[in-house]
Amino acid sequence: MTPVTSKVCVVGDFAVGKTSVIERFVNNQFSGKYLSTVGVKIDTKEIEFPDLGVAHKLVIWDVAGSDEFGHTEFAYLRGASGYIFVADGTRQATLAVVEHLHGQITQKYGPAPFVLLVNKRDLVSDWSVSDDYLDALTKAYGNVYRTSAKTGDDVEDAITRLAELIVDNDIQGS
Amino acid sequence: MNDLDQLKELLFGAEKEALDSIAERMDRRDVRTVDVADILPEAIHKSHRKDDELVESLTEPVGECLQRAFRDDPETYGDALYPVMGPAIRKSIMHALRNFSQQINEAVEHSFSAKGLKWRMQASRAGVPFGEYVLQKTMRYRVEQAYLISRENGLLVDHVHHQASKIKDSDAVSAMFTAIQDFVKESFSPDRTGRLESADMGEFTLWAVHGPHALLVCVIRGVPPKNLRAELSAILERIHFRYGDAVRDYKGDTSSVPDVKDELERCLRFEAREERSDNETKRRGPPAWLIIGLLLLAAVAIFLGLRNWFYSQQLQDLDAVLATTPGIYVTELERDGGDFSVRGLRDPLARSVADVAANVDIPADRISVSMQPFQSLQPDIIAARAAQVFGQAESVTFSVVDETLSVTGDAPWSWRQRLQSRFSSLAGVESLDLSGLTSNDRTAFAEYVSSLDKRQFFFRNGVDFVEGNEDELRAHAEKLRTLNDDAANFDYTIAVTVAGSTDASGDAAVNAVLAGRRAALAADILALSGLDAGTSGKPEAGLVAGQPQEDVRKRYVQVNLELESSVETP
Repeated sequence: MTPVTSKVCVVGDFAVGKTSVIERFVNNQFSGKYLSTVGVKIDTKEIEFPDLGVAHKLVIWDVAGSDEFGHTEFAYLRGASGYIFVADGTRQATLAVVEHLHGQITQKYGPAPFVLLVNKRDLVSDWSVSDDYLDALTKAYGNVYRTSAKTGDDVEDAITRLAELIVDNDIQGS
Repeated sequence: MNDLDQLKELLFGAEKEALDSIAERMDRRDVRTVDVADILPEAIHKSHRKDDELVESLTEPVGECLQRAFRDDPETYGDALYPVMGPAIRKSIMHALRNFSQQINEAVEHSFSAKGLKWRMQASRAGVPFGEYVLQKTMRYRVEQAYLISRENGLLVDHVHHQASKIKDSDAVSAMFTAIQDFVKESFSPDRTGRLESADMGEFTLWAVHGPHALLVCVIRGVPPKNLRAELSAILERIHFRYGDAVRDYKGDTSSVPDVKDELERCLRFEAREERSDNETKRRGPPAWLIIGLLLLAAVAIFLGLRNWFYSQQLQDLDAVLATTPGIYVTELERDGGDFSVRGLRDPLARSVADVAANVDIPADRISVSMQPFQSLQPDIIAARAAQVFGQAESVTFSVVDETLSVTGDAPWSWRQRLQSRFSSLAGVESLDLSGLTSNDRTAFAEYVSSLDKRQFFFRNGVDFVEGNEDELRAHAEKLRTLNDDAANFDYTIAVTVAGSTDASGDAAVNAVLAGRRAALAADILALSGLDAGTSGKPEAGLVAGQPQEDVRKRYVQVNLELESSVETP
């Protein structure tokens, strides 16, 4: 099986659950303190695609939460093959931040595959994002997932989907 | 077409076509370009072979072209020149290092250890400067791991390591290193051109060698030599040379960089270890000469320390003993190693400083003395001065307490008198205590006088001396006169009295007169010798009935002596 490695960045506002969302499904390599010191933490996740004969290893850069990126954050995103955008379903403003960051990143590094995780699905009673809005987002971006870091719902699906998108993109690119 | 044209056609048709064709070629720029391109290489070649005119013509425009190109797009040209510039720069640096090692060589060439000589021979055989050889031999290091990382995205292109090395997820390590590299660059390099090139972690050193599209990160155990970086740079240059585009466009597909692992493996070959001795046990501990040397050093240090402490003690002792020595006042006392120097004041009657120093075991050759004379009023020195002035030969002892000079022992009366008259001339003495002083010569004189007291001279009858007694009296008188002269030397006067005596026979009144006459006669005889004697007469009284009344033993004069002192004596 041909090994392929891709750089993936997890991006989103403060306290939307970025780290929690991916932590359950990755190989933890480094202490979480790097997030607060260096501003990024690296994890890896291997996903196999037997049909394609490809073992896809995602090197996941968990970038510290921010609503506006500076030089350092943009430096971390350089060369990413895909993005995991994370928003908080109980705070609609975090979706606006995701849209803003997406725009910034696309402008700087060009379009790249991504998935959008609207997190904290387990707190459905506090949910402030309407289904209509989510449907509109899905139409606009595709690949929008309602996830829960607590229960793990849909997280692995979302990450696997991103891996597929990256492989497809690479195949198209080549 | 008229006839003329037809004629031209007939006569020059072929030439005209050729001319038209030439004219057309001249008019068409693209055709001319193709023609020039066709002959340009050959033309340049021939022109260059012919003379330097072409080179001179092109120098200026080509120079300007290059300048403009480098200015407009330095990165592209930098990348293109990287494989060329790297070796050139490295060669230059190696040349500089070689010169540097030559300097080291000169610096250490006077070292003559056995190993040094051995290395020198080996370096000579290998044709390497000695300093460079020493550097090679003494460096200990090993490249444990090597990561080839895409600069664009931080993805690991490939990774090699020694089997014994513990490896984490190399993809994650690679990404984290890139993240930290970015973090350092963004945080500490104002223009974001700085690069993290090395980091130390305990026994490991981490070196990053940067290329245009990838960086080579090596984890090195021990202390790597500086020239290792050049070797690693060469490997990275070779990788760029072979896989430049693939590395630049690397997106995580390892198949795009086949055999890059072989290149990376070369990094692991770099290692150098200290030469091992055949004797393993010898290798474990420090060499014997080092231990002996250290022990000797320690012994010398202890000896020096103890000696220094001993000399310090001697200094303290000398200070204390000088402070308590009468007649010495120290103003400066110093020590230089085991030698001492003393400055100050010293009474000539005080002990010598060298003598005092000898008491604390400081020999005279280790002390230099510079003392000014002065007169001390310390009691011991006053006493010594008194002894010096009045004579130490007498068996007397001087002492001074509260400005009183006490003298004990025995001395002639004349010496005592001289002392009494002159003691006040001694500085620091106000009074004299002679209660402990005796004068045996005066006592002997008094005893002699006493022995002559109450001598009796006898009469036969009346005032006639028994034969010989008058002469004895005269001799006695002469003796007394001499004594009387001597008595003044001892502050004595001798009072002489004469008493006459009779026996009980006869009339008492007559006897009384006779006694007086006998006394007067004796006094006259004494007076002849210049003695003034008082007289008295007395008859024998208290006769016992029935006893003979005549007794020659009662008919005499008695010369009495009384010694009187003219001074108060203890």
